Amino acid sequence: MNQEASVGRAAPLAAKSEPQVVLDGVGKSFGTAARARTEVLRDMSLEVREGEFVSLLGPSGCGKTTVLRLVDGLLAPDAGRVTVFGGDPTPGPELGFVFQSFRLIPWFTVRGNVEFALAPTGLSRAEKRERAERYIELVGLRRFAEAHPHELSGGMSQRVALARALVTEPRVLLMDEPFASIDAQTRELMQAELMRLWSSSGATVLFVTHSVDEAILLSDRIALMGPRPGRVLENIEVEGLPRPRWSYDVRSRPEFVDLRRRLWERIRQLVLEDPESDFFGRGTSREAQ
Amino acid sequence: MIVAFRVGFLILLIGLWQVLSQNVSRNLIPSPLETWAAFRRMLADNSLFEALGESLVVYLSGYSTACIVAIAIGLVMGTIRPVGKTLEVYAFALAATPRVAFIPLIIVFLGLGFEAKVFVVFLGAVMPILVNTYAGVLATDQNLNEMARSLGVSRPRIFASIVLPGAVPFIVVGLRIGATIGLINTVVAELYTAVGGLGGLLARYGNTFRMADYFVIVLSLAAIGVAVTETLRYLELRLNRWRGPN
Repeated sequence: MNQEASVGRAAPLAAKSEPQVVLDGVGKSFGTAARARTEVLRDMSLEVREGEFVSLLGPSGCGKTTVLRLVDGLLAPDAGRVTVFGGDPTPGPELGFVFQSFRLIPWFTVRGNVEFALAPTGLSRAEKRERAERYIELVGLRRFAEAHPHELSGGMSQRVALARALVTEPRVLLMDEPFASIDAQTRELMQAELMRLWSSSGATVLFVTHSVDEAILLSDRIALMGPRPGRVLENIEVEGLPRPRWSYDVRSRPEFVDLRRRLWERIRQLVLEDPESDFFGRGTSREAQ
Repeated sequence: MIVAFRVGFLILLIGLWQVLSQNVSRNLIPSPLETWAAFRRMLADNSLFEALGESLVVYLSGYSTACIVAIAIGLVMGTIRPVGKTLEVYAFALAATPRVAFIPLIIVFLGLGFEAKVFVVFLGAVMPILVNTYAGVLATDQNLNEMARSLGVSRPRIFASIVLPGAVPFIVVGLRIGATIGLINTVVAELYTAVGGLGGLLARYGNTFRMADYFVIVLSLAAIGVAVTETLRYLELRLNRWRGPN
């Protein structure tokens, strides 16, 4: 395959070595009226390779979610360029999206919600059903296939959302703080679950979180974003924590502790120095004393 | 338990009715038994069923046309935003106008017959259904909408799976308000155009002080109202079965 790439075949085949998701100097603002205009991203650049697990970590309001919407093609950038699989991103089965608030259709059953993702695929009715079944089983909800979302707990709901995102077998999975509205114990189980699912699917993951621990636990690389207008300040490779990480206590490793401290210091600094933040100035005054 | 309370309350009402009929002077209020006798008499000479049939045909023709037209226009207005924004001002204005004000105009154009009556009913029922359908589409859960778009689901599919089911509770509210106004307008139309149906009997018995007969008509109208709204409530329950029993 490398040989093919070297003889200059078209981009799709060479894509293996190319980054799969590229943001290049992206800018994005919201609001039309000149006064209410908010610049969310400025000169944001990021590259994600195939099969890589990258977390976007940063203070709230720094445009992490906007990045996912841009990569999914739900939004178009004002400046710069977003490239996915070598072209313009279009929403569809190739890109899976998991939202923080689950977003299950309340009048559909679990099965209906998962099958809904297969609507744009050309699969037959029976194939859709079989595939949905498989992924519902995979997230451990077979007994709840006929249940409606209001009968599910938060953790179960997010597992349905995860099944819905995975059922199309996407090459890139976009996750927007998927475990933020789940209780702490369920969250830990879900993180392990996600690692297990990810290791068997081999999908590229772009994962938005504001939890430092979660970012370190899950990622190959952490893209640290600065406050609004957001951009990537630093790319930090997570090293010394071999996978599978669910097989040992990652949090007690010195590598984890060191990285955690480093990241926290950076984030604290970012928030304290951000004039937009409630905490602005507190850091500098303390240092002056 | 609730059923027992309801029956108890009904008995209380009838008792109150009996007391009133005995104490209000000059037989202005017929007793329940007199009313029952009048009901039997009107059943026997078939006059009640004839009038009921006539009114129901007017009512259901006008109401069902209103349902179809209002839901269709409401959905279009909600789905195609420029259409909605253009028309909503006029829709709200018309909804706020007392539509019986149009009756003289309708008589000029459509005469005093069946068409005029149906149109009066239609005009009464159409606006609440339209306005509620429109509001229902606008209230679409934008988070679900974005989720579906991110999956690459087609617009017609999003409409069928997310927008329409989300609008159903609003539409049903509109249908219920429309049903009530439509029934009112049925009687109004029968009083103001060619006198006939239950409205016609109401006028005749009221003007000639046949109060027992008059009461039968009033109760028949109430029964139609209950039947229609209960049907709609059943429909609503069926459509909302996914919510589970609570």
